[in-house]
Amino acid sequence: MTMPLSQRIVFWTIVICVLVILSVPTIVVLGASFTAGNMIDFPPDGLSLKWYSKIAGASDLWRAFGRSLYVATVCTLVAIPVGTLAGIALAKYRVRFETPIQIYLLLPFTIPLIGSGIGLMLFFGEIRLLGQLWPVGVACAVINLPFMVWAVMASASGLEPDLELAAANCGAPPLSTFFHVTLPAVTPGIISGALLMFILALNEFLVSLLLVDARIVTLPVQIYNSIRSIITPDLAAISVIFIASAVVAVIALDRLVGLEIFLKSK
Amino acid sequence: MRSLKAYPIGWRIMDAAEAVAAALWPARFGRSVPYLLLGPAILLVGLLVIGMIQIADSSLRTLDTSTFLPSDYYTLANYQRALTEGLFRTVATRSLLGAVIVTVVTLILAFPYAYLMVRTRSPVLRKILLIALFLPFFIGQVVRAYGWLIVLGNQGMVNEALGLIGIAPMRLLYNYPAVLFGLVQYMLPFAVLMLAPAMTAIPEELESAAHSLGANWVRAMIHVVLPLVKPGLVGAGLVVLTLSLTDFAMPAILGGGSQDFIANAIYDQFFRTSDQGLGSTLALLLVAVGSLLVGVVFMLFGAGTLASQGARR
Repeated sequence: MTMPLSQRIVFWTIVICVLVILSVPTIVVLGASFTAGNMIDFPPDGLSLKWYSKIAGASDLWRAFGRSLYVATVCTLVAIPVGTLAGIALAKYRVRFETPIQIYLLLPFTIPLIGSGIGLMLFFGEIRLLGQLWPVGVACAVINLPFMVWAVMASASGLEPDLELAAANCGAPPLSTFFHVTLPAVTPGIISGALLMFILALNEFLVSLLLVDARIVTLPVQIYNSIRSIITPDLAAISVIFIASAVVAVIALDRLVGLEIFLKSK
Repeated sequence: MRSLKAYPIGWRIMDAAEAVAAALWPARFGRSVPYLLLGPAILLVGLLVIGMIQIADSSLRTLDTSTFLPSDYYTLANYQRALTEGLFRTVATRSLLGAVIVTVVTLILAFPYAYLMVRTRSPVLRKILLIALFLPFFIGQVVRAYGWLIVLGNQGMVNEALGLIGIAPMRLLYNYPAVLFGLVQYMLPFAVLMLAPAMTAIPEELESAAHSLGANWVRAMIHVVLPLVKPGLVGAGLVVLTLSLTDFAMPAILGGGSQDFIANAIYDQFFRTSDQGLGSTLALLLVAVGSLLVGVVFMLFGAGTLASQGARR
């Protein structure tokens, strides 16, 4: 649409400010990782890949990254079946007490993260699960579950119920109908939901911080612990992993559902 | 052998599975299928409920300073301390004031962004604006805060730039504005993504009509767009308010320990002072305030809308 010039100036000024605020940290981390100097500086004191070669040998960082991958995998493996079934149930069936159930399933969003984290820490401590890594993955699955349910619900509500009836009419028993008709129809939702769960668990900081001990820190916690003492460029180099995975996730999400879906009004 | 080929092994497995399913779950139980499907999710979220019960339980026990164990009787002493001690009042005031400022600034910045993103004719521009929102969302708070440490540090970009024009380095980090700035950056994607659908719902013709009736763009914004987008603004505002009120990472990293918010105070009670009871009390009070705020969202928009807006959190 055509905007009056004064409006265009005001709006574009703000939008450009926002774009700068949003992207500066990412660009700076990327730039700092290529510095040739020994201290964090931007613009870098000349380009080099020396911090990358340094982190290539830093086994503690890679172990922390491995733990983060493990946590994200556990989280995704838990969330896929749980969220898929719940999403199908909410989208396709008339459920009694639907509103209370929806509110209940939104508890992970309504309870502040610090509250969820402390609660799970106390509970896992009580049943002697603290100090292991897989409960961190389960915790990540709990706190982000609504994302998974939402993604599946969105594609399940697009499935024509007549298709399932047609399958049954052609003689398909319930399980075959589920695997050959329902499941393929919700697959895009499952994939995008799983992607969200994986990437959010890979980045999860606060709940990890509460649930891990010094032996099993995940990568975000490791970075947090390090930047509190001294800032060296090797952290910038390892942070590039997160930037790269975010880029992959955004591209994948755009291909799968199209980012424009988030602009739609209901 | 031939018959085995004609009837593939996959079908046999499916037949067996169907038979097992039918035996376990006869068709007349059909009406309970949705509850069966919801079961695992209800159990998983149940972990949070158990966690809340644990918090409530330990909030009612004080720390016995002689044995360093929680008391085995219930008392409200922790609540009295949490509500009367000056330290917690300072932290609570700082967090609340900070959350309000962050919310106002974020909404002011998010509004034009959402407007332009929805109204632009150029798909390329729209895509760029969307990617700029999603990328930081997926990068995570720690890495973003780390970026700000590099920018704002004593030898950081801003101070180097100021040095070039002859201004002495300033301390830009580890103060209140730095924390608020970091929070605004963290909240912007949430706010824009909650505003955008409300913006999409406003027909462009309404604005054209306002213009043709002689309203300038400021008046068209104030009298046409703002009232229509108000539900989106309220929703986005409440989400931003809750998330920034309860944030941990930005105050911890950009505040450097001197600008604690409530979440940091809770963390310190658990891991520095080891006073689990008092920490639980603070956590439960924060959960209560946070749930109250989200409860308002539910009342205004209904649970269903938030469910689908969840992904736009």
